[in-house]
Amino acid sequence: MSRRTQAVRLVAGREISERLRSRTTRFVTVVTALLVVGAVTIPGLIKEASKPTRIGLVGPAARSLAPTLQRGATAAKVKVSLSEPAREAQGRTELRKGELDVLLSLTKLSRTAKVEVEQTLSATIGALISATVEQARLDTVLAEAGVPASKVRPALATAPIAVAVVKPSAPHEDARIVAAIAAGLLMYMSLSLYGTAVATGVAQEKTSRTAEVLLATVSPGQLLAGKVAGIGLTGLGQLAIAAGAGLIANAVFHSASIPASVWALLPSFLAFFLAGFVLYAFVLAAAGALVSRQEEVQSVIIPVAMPLVLGYLLVFAAVGSPNATWLRVASLLPPLSATLMPARIALGHIAWWELPLDGLLMLASILAVARIASRIYAGALLHGGPRVGWRAALRLPGR
Amino acid sequence: MLEVLDLHHRFGDVVALDGVTLAVGEGELVGLVGRNGAGKTTAMRAIMGILAPDSGQVRWQGAPIGEGQRLRFGYMPEERGLYAQMRIGDQVAYFARLHGVERHAAARAARSWLAQLGLGGRAQDLLATLSHGNQQRVQLAVALVHDPLLLVLDEPFAGLDPEAVDSLSEVLRGQGAEGRSILFSSHQLELVERICRRVVILDAGRVIAAGTLAELRERFPAQLRVKVGSATDWAARLDGVSVLRSDEDGVLLRVDPGVDSQAILRAAQQAGPVEHFAFESAGLIDLYRRMISQ
Repeated sequence: MSRRTQAVRLVAGREISERLRSRTTRFVTVVTALLVVGAVTIPGLIKEASKPTRIGLVGPAARSLAPTLQRGATAAKVKVSLSEPAREAQGRTELRKGELDVLLSLTKLSRTAKVEVEQTLSATIGALISATVEQARLDTVLAEAGVPASKVRPALATAPIAVAVVKPSAPHEDARIVAAIAAGLLMYMSLSLYGTAVATGVAQEKTSRTAEVLLATVSPGQLLAGKVAGIGLTGLGQLAIAAGAGLIANAVFHSASIPASVWALLPSFLAFFLAGFVLYAFVLAAAGALVSRQEEVQSVIIPVAMPLVLGYLLVFAAVGSPNATWLRVASLLPPLSATLMPARIALGHIAWWELPLDGLLMLASILAVARIASRIYAGALLHGGPRVGWRAALRLPGR
Repeated sequence: MLEVLDLHHRFGDVVALDGVTLAVGEGELVGLVGRNGAGKTTAMRAIMGILAPDSGQVRWQGAPIGEGQRLRFGYMPEERGLYAQMRIGDQVAYFARLHGVERHAAARAARSWLAQLGLGGRAQDLLATLSHGNQQRVQLAVALVHDPLLLVLDEPFAGLDPEAVDSLSEVLRGQGAEGRSILFSSHQLELVERICRRVVILDAGRVIAAGTLAELRERFPAQLRVKVGSATDWAARLDGVSVLRSDEDGVLLRVDPGVDSQAILRAAQQAGPVEHFAFESAGLIDLYRRMISQ
């Protein structure tokens, strides 16, 4: 290994081992993993918990409706559980206690069916009950007229219509939208978290004057590369742990809420994290080198973080109109690309040429930004005195 | 051997180095003195490669310094700087490794230097939990841990208590005895005088004097103190001699180079019984004041 890469590796190694030692890092790792596991399992748990509508049937006529009601519910894909309270009063008590959701009282089919609920009756259940009662009445009338119901039924059945979908929604559309927003959010959060760590770390080395001791042995370029690599790998590791925890949770709980097609996007998300992080990290390292006091870090970060925030907000526009031309163009711009493109990938409206083009643009801008940022970094790192401006820093003699 | 040849450097309109030339031989301790802003720190940064001078050269063993050679230099900047939240054992070992020392050797050297500097039991402590003096010791350990051939120390004695000054002097003398070249700056001139064989005096970016104390003294007329009973006017008639002061301890004479001191002694004996006759050797402080005011 050459002396140069050895120095970069040592600087990166220190970043990683010092970060792993810190409580904050461990805390963030655990919380991120828990958030992902929660996002994977909770929708499944909620679905599981969706209970059947409990309907109490009072009176002989109501009770006779039970089989039809059950069949109708199955056809309408609603879950119902039927019970038969002895008297109406008892049914009403159960309703008040929350043991029943709906109470249907009907002594004779010819009378008006009485439906009692605690507060509201869902439209589906209402329609189900009235259709069932109507059906039973019709059957009775037909029977009294001597016409077998089986002969009339086919004519009464809903006329079949053929539906042709002109613009089919992508499979798992809902899951994809959730995944797009989650990807944008995760990308935004992790880029700002680790980007800030780079700026803070650089500012610490500058203000504590450790930079001067370091620069006596390593070049500014090596120091910068090592720092970016160390913090980036720590971040990637944390995200990988979170993703792994999500995959395991998904397997254990067999939650169908996240389709395999979304999980397949994971590697591209990690690649976008790496590229976006490197891009922002170089700029933020230069920003961190400009400060004269640790307290100034926040104010130099803000202008750099603007495109990151904008990219995240555009994710919501992309969810609304994924094929808009201006959004396609925006998602190719490297500063916006880091948050916007993963979301568009999740939405699944990407043309084949967009990813390689984005990759090239990203690579080119990383190279350009790294050059300029390294110059600013090298010039400003040993510059004492008050905060340095961006342009002034470019003119400072580096090493 | 370190050679600094004709370094020039400006910060905007300010001339920091204006043709600095100096040398530090093997096993030699050289003191760099001068008032604030004289260019000491800039010169040291240029030697360490932290600052690229506008012109001039820094050479090691007769050749321009390459990347690998600078790894064998140890540096202690004026504004101390280490990681506050890092354990000192790890920290010292980390800097050893940056200087190219292999992992296990680095850990060993870190332990050994911390023990030598009286911090043996504290390797696991964070730097921030140490007292100022102890943090300074860690900084020194960082400068020494990779067994450097050249030590460049900017104000290593600043802020140390007398005990720590003694132990640092001891360490530096020990390093010199082992053949290390040492260049250090200090405002404490009596300390420089005690430790160094040679001094370099910087003023406004220029070397105004360099050499051993004896050599520096030769640049100035010698001062001779003579006490002859109560007589005071006997010396005024001598050629090449002028009276600087006259008090109850006798007269203080300025003797121009080339004047025979035996002739002065004979003149004194003619004036009366000679009670005291000795050249006064000027200390570094006197020499420094005289040079700066020239």
